[in-house]
Amino acid sequence: MFELDDFSVSFGSGTALRYANLEIREGDRLGIVGESGSGKTMLALCLMGMAPDAATISGRLSIDGQDMTHANERLWQQMRARRVAMIFQEPMTALNPLRRIGDTVMEPLIVHDGLSRAQARMRVLALLEEVGIPDPPARMRMFPHELSGGQRQRVLIALALACNPALLIADEPTTALDANVALRITDLLVRLAHERGMALVFITHDLAAVARTTENIVVMYGGDMVERGPTAQVLANPAHPYTKGLLGARPDPTAPARDANGKRRRLPTLPGTVPPLSALPQGCRFSGRCAVELDYCATTRAPDHAVDANRAAACHLLGGVKP
Amino acid sequence: MNRRLPVNFIIGAVLVALVVGTAALSLVWTPHDATQLTISNKFAAPSSTHWLGTDQLGRDVLSQLMAGARNSMAVALVAVLLGGSVGVALGLLASAIGGWVEDGVMRLADLGFAFPALLFAIMLAAVFGPSLTNAVLAIAFINIPVFARVTRGAANQVWTYDYVLASRAAGLNRFAISRDHILPNIAAAIIVQATIEFAVAILAEAALSYLGLGAQPPASSWGRILSEAQTLMYIAPQLAIYPGLCIVVAVVGFGLLGDGLRDMSDPRLSRER
Repeated sequence: MFELDDFSVSFGSGTALRYANLEIREGDRLGIVGESGSGKTMLALCLMGMAPDAATISGRLSIDGQDMTHANERLWQQMRARRVAMIFQEPMTALNPLRRIGDTVMEPLIVHDGLSRAQARMRVLALLEEVGIPDPPARMRMFPHELSGGQRQRVLIALALACNPALLIADEPTTALDANVALRITDLLVRLAHERGMALVFITHDLAAVARTTENIVVMYGGDMVERGPTAQVLANPAHPYTKGLLGARPDPTAPARDANGKRRRLPTLPGTVPPLSALPQGCRFSGRCAVELDYCATTRAPDHAVDANRAAACHLLGGVKP
Repeated sequence: MNRRLPVNFIIGAVLVALVVGTAALSLVWTPHDATQLTISNKFAAPSSTHWLGTDQLGRDVLSQLMAGARNSMAVALVAVLLGGSVGVALGLLASAIGGWVEDGVMRLADLGFAFPALLFAIMLAAVFGPSLTNAVLAIAFINIPVFARVTRGAANQVWTYDYVLASRAAGLNRFAISRDHILPNIAAAIIVQATIEFAVAILAEAALSYLGLGAQPPASSWGRILSEAQTLMYIAPQLAIYPGLCIVVAVVGFGLLGDGLRDMSDPRLSRER
């Protein structure tokens, strides 16, 4: 349904996304994890045709077999809402403060599906009901500031679902919400995807959420897709050194607070930080921070190596070379 | 709302209310007919029948000033609405489309800024003859780049907001977004600018009428009263002072009101107060 072939996005000398290959089929639930600046959001914006004007795009992006790589805004407007929709990280700022939420959610229905206001109203009531907002007729007349963060995120989900998209991209939908509400929102997304037969791309750095919501996972670092495979397998037995580091950085609540010498135990971290776009190493993006680096890692990009039948990771170590 | 209103807003609002109230009153009532000549009663001192006296042709000064207020308000209103609408539309367009359209509109605005308004009015008058309509058009024209620039600046900021991103993701086109999401959220900035431009328009109308390029006799206009009184400065200085004062009150009033509105719409300023 959605296909990326060697899809790259760059800004001047910096590369935000490099040789991304991805296929999303109907009903897929795909997680994308990685640190800030790993290219997750850029990937999502590209799937929406909303890459910044300054971006240089190469490779190929197709939707339903149609080449959308350099499609114009008009063509994308046809795709958005109907084929692909997106919800955003910040429910607090993603709703126009001056519009009643009913008007906001009705808008794509009127513009896209050509419904009358009365018809759109009926659809919005059903949508708000579906996303679990109590008393939809009253809520429709409210302004965003009258709703809580979780409720606003539900409104945004209703807005995204308005025109029955085949793919819903959720870009860190729970980052701004407290843990309890976040859990309910992720469960809601899974339920909606399941009921509607809708594909879901779930972008997050919450590994617990991704385990809960998705079947497959892509791990990104510095604009590269470094590892992919079924979520449970990747999380249980990571193949790429970055994925191992990422999983190793999860706090272990059962570990004692102090080590054998009585020193306060520190949380495990990956050494260093993600370099800025323009300073990423030419080869493997993770070189320089990698614990098992080879001498040519910094200069040669690692191709995808199969880990097993349905898993792959982009690491030279998996290419049959001994460390 | 127990927030204190800014002082400039209060003073501005009082002065504007005075001017607008006078202009409105002149529609239904003036002490005398503003164009009524009574040569036998020229240069009359203030009295109970002529509160501010009469001029060199025996016309009632107060009635003329009231009619002038009406003229000023009407000209400023039409000019600002006209120039503002075109300017706002151009600014929204530039911001929505971006690229060479935005550059083009902004360079045209620069050109408009560089072109002296008075010169443009004189040009219009030279081609089409001096008239109030041409004065209005000239003032409207100089307002276009001002509004285009303010609108585009404010709109560009709103375009980066998440809710605009969300409505793009919902498949709305740029014009629907401009109309439903951008415009309402920049309305405050536009209203502030319009109030300030109102003051500029009043001044411009007075200047044009003073030069004989605006209101034509027998219509009353502060600028024209001022130019007629100029030759009589040594005989009856009050005839020049009254319209001058009116212009000052109106311009300062709208200027302060605009400043006050801006202070109120800027949360950073209201917190400091």
